[in-house]
Amino acid sequence: MSDAITAETIYEAMGAVLTRWTMGSAAAPAASFWRTELGDDPAEAELRLLALAGQFLSTAVTTEPAAALRVLPDIPALALPTVPETLRPLVRRILATRKQVKVKSDLIHFLAARGWTTHPADWMPEADDDDAPDVYANWRDWAAIAGSNSASRRQTDDRLTAENWDDYWPAARKAALIELRRRDPSAARAVLETRLAGENADMRWRLLSLLSERLSDDDLSILETIAANDRAPRVKALATSLLARLGRGSAAGEDTAELAGFFAVKTKGLLRRSRVVQAEPLKTQAQSLRRKALFDGADLTSFADALGLAPQELIAAWDWNADRAADAALVDLIVATGTDAQVTQAADAVNERDAPGLIISLAERLAPAERARHAEAALNARDIRFELAQLIAGTAARLRDPLSAPAGKALLAALQGDDAKPSDQAEELHALGLIVSREGARGALERLAGAGLLQGDPRLDMLRLNAALDDKGAKP
Amino acid sequence: MAIDLKAVEQLATDQSSLKAAAGLAKPAKWSGVGASQDGALIWGECAGSGANPYRVMADLRDLGNKCTCPSRKFPCKHVLGLLWLNAEAVVPFVPADTPAWVSDWLGRRRGTSAAKPASSAPSTGEKDLRAARAGEPEVAEDPKDVARREAQAAKRSEDTERAILDALDALEQWIGDQLRMGLAGFIDDATARCRRIAARLVDGKAAVLAGRIDELPSRLLALAAGDRPRGAVVELGKLVLLARAFRATPRDAEIRRAVAASETREVVLADPQALRVDARWEVLAEQVQTRRDGLVSQTTWLLNLAATGPRFAMLLDFFPASAGRRGSVFTPGERFQAELVFYPSQQPLRALLMRRDASGETSALEWPAPDTALSDALTRPLLAEPWVIETPLLLPQGRIARDDAGQTWWRSDDGMATLPVASEVDGLLCGTELTRAAAIWSGNRLTVLAAQSPWGRIGSHE
Repeated sequence: MSDAITAETIYEAMGAVLTRWTMGSAAAPAASFWRTELGDDPAEAELRLLALAGQFLSTAVTTEPAAALRVLPDIPALALPTVPETLRPLVRRILATRKQVKVKSDLIHFLAARGWTTHPADWMPEADDDDAPDVYANWRDWAAIAGSNSASRRQTDDRLTAENWDDYWPAARKAALIELRRRDPSAARAVLETRLAGENADMRWRLLSLLSERLSDDDLSILETIAANDRAPRVKALATSLLARLGRGSAAGEDTAELAGFFAVKTKGLLRRSRVVQAEPLKTQAQSLRRKALFDGADLTSFADALGLAPQELIAAWDWNADRAADAALVDLIVATGTDAQVTQAADAVNERDAPGLIISLAERLAPAERARHAEAALNARDIRFELAQLIAGTAARLRDPLSAPAGKALLAALQGDDAKPSDQAEELHALGLIVSREGARGALERLAGAGLLQGDPRLDMLRLNAALDDKGAKP
Repeated sequence: MAIDLKAVEQLATDQSSLKAAAGLAKPAKWSGVGASQDGALIWGECAGSGANPYRVMADLRDLGNKCTCPSRKFPCKHVLGLLWLNAEAVVPFVPADTPAWVSDWLGRRRGTSAAKPASSAPSTGEKDLRAARAGEPEVAEDPKDVARREAQAAKRSEDTERAILDALDALEQWIGDQLRMGLAGFIDDATARCRRIAARLVDGKAAVLAGRIDELPSRLLALAAGDRPRGAVVELGKLVLLARAFRATPRDAEIRRAVAASETREVVLADPQALRVDARWEVLAEQVQTRRDGLVSQTTWLLNLAATGPRFAMLLDFFPASAGRRGSVFTPGERFQAELVFYPSQQPLRALLMRRDASGETSALEWPAPDTALSDALTRPLLAEPWVIETPLLLPQGRIARDDAGQTWWRSDDGMATLPVASEVDGLLCGTELTRAAAIWSGNRLTVLAAQSPWGRIGSHE
């Protein structure tokens, strides 16, 4: 090869060479500077040129980006620390082996309740993952930035106000609003009063639901305005339900009176006469559908009023377990329109009877400590499984010794049974791992090892993670 | 928990399994032998015929067991060998935390019924431990037989070489035809055309080259449509270079490996010239690919954490796709001290795992800095072996970026290099500084295997 051939010369010729080959014509004439190297035989010259051109194109020519490149910002550090490196394999395995969304979500909430977050290589929330714990707000917004082409917003650490509302990415804004509501309920309400109308219906509904925290009579005015004027029925319904929790249900109208007609207030007992609210027997399917429809449109205060009772009297006098459909309808009514105190009262009342299913409905409005208390009570007094207890307890419970409850004895017996298989009881053991305290998890692992389970058994992953993870969360 | 040899005998499907197991019941064949704290589970890694050792595990409570080898016998000789080691206490089974791969297997086990000792199953013949232990009698060979066998082997080798040279003539003819008919048509019809010439190459004993050409269309289709003519010229040009190199030195082991077949494990191990490297290695990634010829290739990429020596090692195994999914041998991110033997090469890369020390202490070694400037690392391997398709690289500090069309790029922090990334990258990899990255440069595109970042190591965990 003569010295005079420069890379530029070759590069300039490559366009013509590629075009000729693409079309099926000989390319050697387009690379005359290599005449000596290619030789006289036309077929041989094409192969030699192919070898040379291939080598040139694979080394000297690299693709360049056509336009400016966009670099995503760093994934921000979160307010809670990352799970210790040694426990990441366990977290990964729980995330990977259980496909159900609830299992993932439970684990993420469990970690947050214990004061930890996942490593971003193991799990990150999607931008629209509204179920993710608030601590992940910055990662949700990062995912939103990654998914959009827009320039990044000005991130602000200032306190949220109506003026800097647009500077926040949605998830961080929601987290800031929750925080503001906890510290200063009126300030949060004032921000919403200004900003709510500018959001779409879905976002209005999400933001309005934040008012249920520290709900008070000060919120009446904004709720009444929304209940009367909002364009979206769903948002209106939420405002109405929040009003009802404040005892401002719609005045007892015909419908509520009709609903009350499905029940009778009687007295019972000879010495200490007390009232009892009993469902009248339903004779037809149509009646049952009508009663359900009336419940859907009612609120607790008006319903109690129509029966001549105060709401707490209604809950106390309700004849639980006589009509399961009526029980469920009343519980839904309390969840949607009852005050926190009424929800707690109902949970206690239900817990005294054998109705853990109703507790699960009420659980979403109970404080973590209440949920744990009811789960423990249900476990000890009733024959419920850990999976059910976990639905009541949520992910922030720290039960001391659930394995001693009937469910624990049943679990141990099943694991030791002659026909026990290596995959049996996986859900039950996982649920146990979620509800037990760290100390309790250690004790449970010992007892399960005594019952013949191997320490490496993947069914014990959740218990092992719980036992190994330092509990740094706020105790309920 | 203890088992006796009688159980091993009962579990074996036949006498030959038992005999093979006896051969494996030797400490030198095993590494990483351990038992769970409760003594119920045992495991170990056994050197097999592939580049990777097999992972062997057993549950002593019911003799349930699993091995990553492709054997169709159940249990295989490796499981029997592990049980034998345990029954006779040939090596100590040190109580340890159950490794994740053993736990994963436990979780997938269907039930105890699948792992019954073979005693209830119809026996395929008499099995006898003592006979299994007895060694083969040494047979003195007649020197005439040896000479005859060597002559036959030389004849076979000559025939093979002739067949390969004929096949390479056909290949060059075929390449010339593709140019004459136009690369536009070749790109559209690459799969069928490559299949035909690959079949011809298989007949001509150029099996490795055939496999490479079979995979050519998928590499081509992975490129953007506008880049395919360039890609086709590069691929076909490399084939011409390789064919010419073989003609020049048909006995060169390295070139033969790229065209016909690799040396067997025994040949590499017996070669006194073969490079042996005892170092601390990190598993970067494992790539499993089902090929068009029905084989599954399992490639494990290792990074040498020492200051010198070959920076990367590649452990390559093949097994038939019909053998079903195989468990991974290593966990990405895992580190261990091990001796590797490299296949002789100007740029040692493919290797065999000779000996692996029980991992335990997690080394705090940092990834080494890139050994050469990036531009050199991209091109230098092609000076020695211009036909190679994949080059492993260690990248300096950089970051993932995107263009408006959604194409992903890796860009060095000094702004001197911007390289296209082969596949979509999301999550942490594009949301943090990559202080180091290990990648494969192939077809002018980059595949990131693993990276170091302020968040620690990032890599695939599957």
